[in-house]
Amino acid sequence: MEQLLELHLPNILGAEKEAIKKAVIIAEKLGFARDRIEDLKTALAEACINAIEHGNKFDQNKKVRVTLAANNKSLEVIVHDEGEGIDPKKIPTKRVRDDGFPCRRGYGVFLMSNLMNEFYFEKNPGKGNNVKMLMHLNG
Amino acid sequence: MSKDIKVSTSHKGDIAVISIQGDVTAVTGEVIGNAYGSNDILNSPKILLQFDKDCYINSGGLASLIDIASEGRKKQQKIHAYGLSDHFQKIFHMVGLTRCIPIFTSEEAAMKDF
Ligand SMILES: Nc1ncnc2c1ncn2[C@@H]1O[C@H](COP(=O)(O)OP(=O)(O)OP(=O)(O)O)[C@@H](O)[C@H]1O
Ligand SMILES: [Mg+2]
Repeated sequence: MEQLLELHLPNILGAEKEAIKKAVIIAEKLGFARDRIEDLKTALAEACINAIEHGNKFDQNKKVRVTLAANNKSLEVIVHDEGEGIDPKKIPTKRVRDDGFPCRRGYGVFLMSNLMNEFYFEKNPGKGNNVKMLMHLNG
Repeated sequence: MSKDIKVSTSHKGDIAVISIQGDVTAVTGEVIGNAYGSNDILNSPKILLQFDKDCYINSGGLASLIDIASEGRKKQQKIHAYGLSDHFQKIFHMVGLTRCIPIFTSEEAAMKDF
């Protein structure tokens, strides 16, 4: 993988838009189709928002690091925060309430894992949390 | 902090229209919520959410829209949406929001089907 971008975002909601802008330029250069780029924008936004909210817990002394890398098969996005990592038990398994109405929250991971080709998270005790996502060039 | 959103309200016959331009997020959700909460909108039985195709919507924005849908259901309002980009139409389907806020491809279709 060749690294194409490393960004350090302030830990404030809205900062994800900066990463999105830069990622779009890279994805366009790599030749991704319009609809795939839209998927990437949403997935990257959700990863950054989770990092800001759940990882760094809105602490403005902390940062979110976004790196993009690519090879001839895929674009890799890594979003790092300084938190404790994702507790898999906290990822909601249902998004619909018993009465059929959509739940209020719990869409980020669902969207990332469905919009990207691959989605992983790994906690490194004491070193923060990484969300890694891949989008394949051939669909 | 300035909010990157523009929301305006109007009426077309008995339909209350909320036009949304810009960011639909946790930060701006309050602006949409306030527009929805204004008396003439809140008491209207039919509500049309008019999105801009360049809107940026994230999970925080989805939560704000689900709040409106939830309030609307209590009040037995019908809420329709149109103007979303293909991508956000897909997202609305994926998260099941179209079950309570059906989306339409044109203003005419959205108004006719109330
Ligand atoms: N970077 C992170 N660090 C720690 N926990 C996380 C992180 N990202 C996600 N989580 C955990 O996973 C859960 C699910 O995340 P997800 O994004 O799917 O839903 P949400 O953030 O709670 O709601 P929404 O994304 O719809 O606003 C979160 O509630 C949180 O407990
Ligand atoms: Mg989230």
